[in-house]
Amino acid sequence: MKTSVKKIVAIIAAMAMTLCLFAGCGSSDSASSDGPVTIKFGIHVANPAEQEPVTNQIVTDFNAANDGQYTVEFEAADTETHSKNMKLEAEDGTLPDIFWIDASEAPEYAEAGIIADLSGYLADNADIDEALNGMENAFNNGDMQYGLPYQCNVQGFYYNKALFDKAGVDYPTNATTQDEFMEMVNKLNAAGITPISIGSKNSAFAMWPFNEYLTRYGWDNLEGTYNTPEMVKCFEKIAALTEAKAFNDTVATSEYFDAKQAFLDGNAAMFGSGQWDCGACDEALGENVAFWWGPQFTDTDAPQEMAMKVPSAPIVVNAASMEDPAKAAAITAFLNYYYGPEAAATSFAGSIFPATNYADVAATETQYAMNSMIEALGDGWQSPTAAPDQTLSPAVQEALYDAIFGVIQGNYSPADALDKMDAAAAN
Amino acid sequence: MYWLSKTRYKIGLLLPSFCIYTVFILLPIAMAVRYSFTKYSGLGKPQFTGLQNYVRMFQDDLFWSSFKNTMIMFVLAFVLLLVLSFAIALLLNKKLKGSDLSKALIFSPAIIAPIIVGIIWVYILDPNVGIINGILDAIGAEGLKHQWIGGATLTPYSLAIVYFWQQLGYLVTIFIAGLKMLPEEVMEAAIIDGANEWQKVTRIIIPMMKSNISTVAILIITGVFKIFEIVQQTTGGGPNHLSETLVTYSYTMTFDSGDYGYGMSLATVTFIVSLIIVGIYSAFFGDKEEKKEAKARRKLAKEAKAAKKAAKGGAA
Repeated sequence: MKTSVKKIVAIIAAMAMTLCLFAGCGSSDSASSDGPVTIKFGIHVANPAEQEPVTNQIVTDFNAANDGQYTVEFEAADTETHSKNMKLEAEDGTLPDIFWIDASEAPEYAEAGIIADLSGYLADNADIDEALNGMENAFNNGDMQYGLPYQCNVQGFYYNKALFDKAGVDYPTNATTQDEFMEMVNKLNAAGITPISIGSKNSAFAMWPFNEYLTRYGWDNLEGTYNTPEMVKCFEKIAALTEAKAFNDTVATSEYFDAKQAFLDGNAAMFGSGQWDCGACDEALGENVAFWWGPQFTDTDAPQEMAMKVPSAPIVVNAASMEDPAKAAAITAFLNYYYGPEAAATSFAGSIFPATNYADVAATETQYAMNSMIEALGDGWQSPTAAPDQTLSPAVQEALYDAIFGVIQGNYSPADALDKMDAAAAN
Repeated sequence: MYWLSKTRYKIGLLLPSFCIYTVFILLPIAMAVRYSFTKYSGLGKPQFTGLQNYVRMFQDDLFWSSFKNTMIMFVLAFVLLLVLSFAIALLLNKKLKGSDLSKALIFSPAIIAPIIVGIIWVYILDPNVGIINGILDAIGAEGLKHQWIGGATLTPYSLAIVYFWQQLGYLVTIFIAGLKMLPEEVMEAAIIDGANEWQKVTRIIIPMMKSNISTVAILIITGVFKIFEIVQQTTGGGPNHLSETLVTYSYTMTFDSGDYGYGMSLATVTFIVSLIIVGIYSAFFGDKEEKKEAKARRKLAKEAKAAKKAAKGGAA
């Protein structure tokens, strides 16, 4: 072979290799004009079948019911990766058709015009609007309905009745006060039982029971500043729990999953979480598990009869997908199913409160944790529009998490913690 | 290989690498610097805010705590790694019994993924379930028990030790390779001249291995400024960001707080700090002989080019 031919071959090979390098940057569209319309559902867990079995079941049922017409496929990643992916995909126009997004981030997507206004959808589907019973209001910014609740969250403390019995402590009730709670903590400690299991490592978001604290100190009335006398009192109650050694020693080096496991293994009397852990609690503790909102406070004028039954983070619809008639029809069909009575029944069966309310949908006798929640809800108390941590921008939300765990671990005084939130809000 | 020495072929061979380097290294750095002057949440258009992020950074306690942690880790890792990896390489270079097994054992942490290294060390350092405090408990030395990780004080020191453990084998290997390259006749001459072990090391080995030492030093400097997984796995930067390094704090601000502008200003400062440290090292401890040689090579090339040009001019 002549040298010039060699050179040409080498140049072609180099170009081919360079092209191959960039081949992975392209995108593919899973929708086909012949087969079923496929829509992508971006979800915040890496393994939906294991970690979100109810949603996985709803999608499986929808696909079976619409075989040949519509298919929903998950685009799954853990919460942090999912959040990053959505931002990157929003920039390059490859967002999934429907996706879960943290409530703190959703308004930015709405402002950027990336997600669809679903008010028309709700107007066309009055039965679903009615079944949502106002839970969708948390995701309406006045200009548009930018999301619908993924589920209904019920947050507070799970407790292990067997450990309370062992320590000779009465079970908490809806009327239990902070002083009584402190007595409980002291008695549990005296019996050698860790009162509350909690973990902050990579999971500062696991502050769910303290959403009730914030609400009962008038979170919804805050105007501009977080360091207020009421909020200082609220954080002082959390600090008092630390002083009373209410938490496990491993707060800093435990993750949420470690803390949950410690509770499920019977190594702690209480665990702050939400309805998504009902199934795990039933499986590990059976009839020994029960649920409590948290204490009432006597040093504030804010309403105390508040139940933390709130919409979870929203699912939102990619505005670009709604411009494609075939995809829009598939998305509408999926939303109809997701917020319909069949999916609500699937949710209840999986110990998850759906975002919708339908008659004749209820938990079974052996769903102990869920029944305890239903019992706690039985007083018919009011609920805030959204959990306090879900009303903030990402930076202030992060500062709230940091503030609460800073007080729990004794690194911040209540006032310092709240100042840090104010500083984050100012930036 | 005459044709490869032509300038256009050199350019042709270098161009693909240069393009890839520009697209994947230089351009992201430029973009990060650009975003550092903006307020940007990752969505929509960034708003130019001038030096606001940098002013905020210098007033941010957590930035200074991350900076302090990074510097503690850097000093500790640099001193320990440079001295001990060289010393161990000298030892393993001798034909001792069991040196091959020792080499394998020392190198083994370098092949473990950093995230796994983090998990392993959680079980060693955790103040409640870790082996160290467990042993101290078992031998009745409760007074020596500490919060090795998860506390506000000892975490950066502990993480430096973890990094040391992980990197040691790799750096020892580089030094051993350098030692093997030393000409035996020089060492033999030193022995004949009556040099003892200390003199051989300080007068012959270290001067002849300056370029190896520089390579290792720069690897340590750049490596310390990239420590991420170990921190994420052992403490997650906690409690309350007190064990963050510059890299993890930049990541937290960018992706957890959604403050891309501020996160990029932290990344830019991290990049500049590591460049400054590499620069200082090169200025004071770099291989001066090599620099002189390079300078001489450049001078010769320049002279040759001028001579060629003059010859061409004369021929015309």
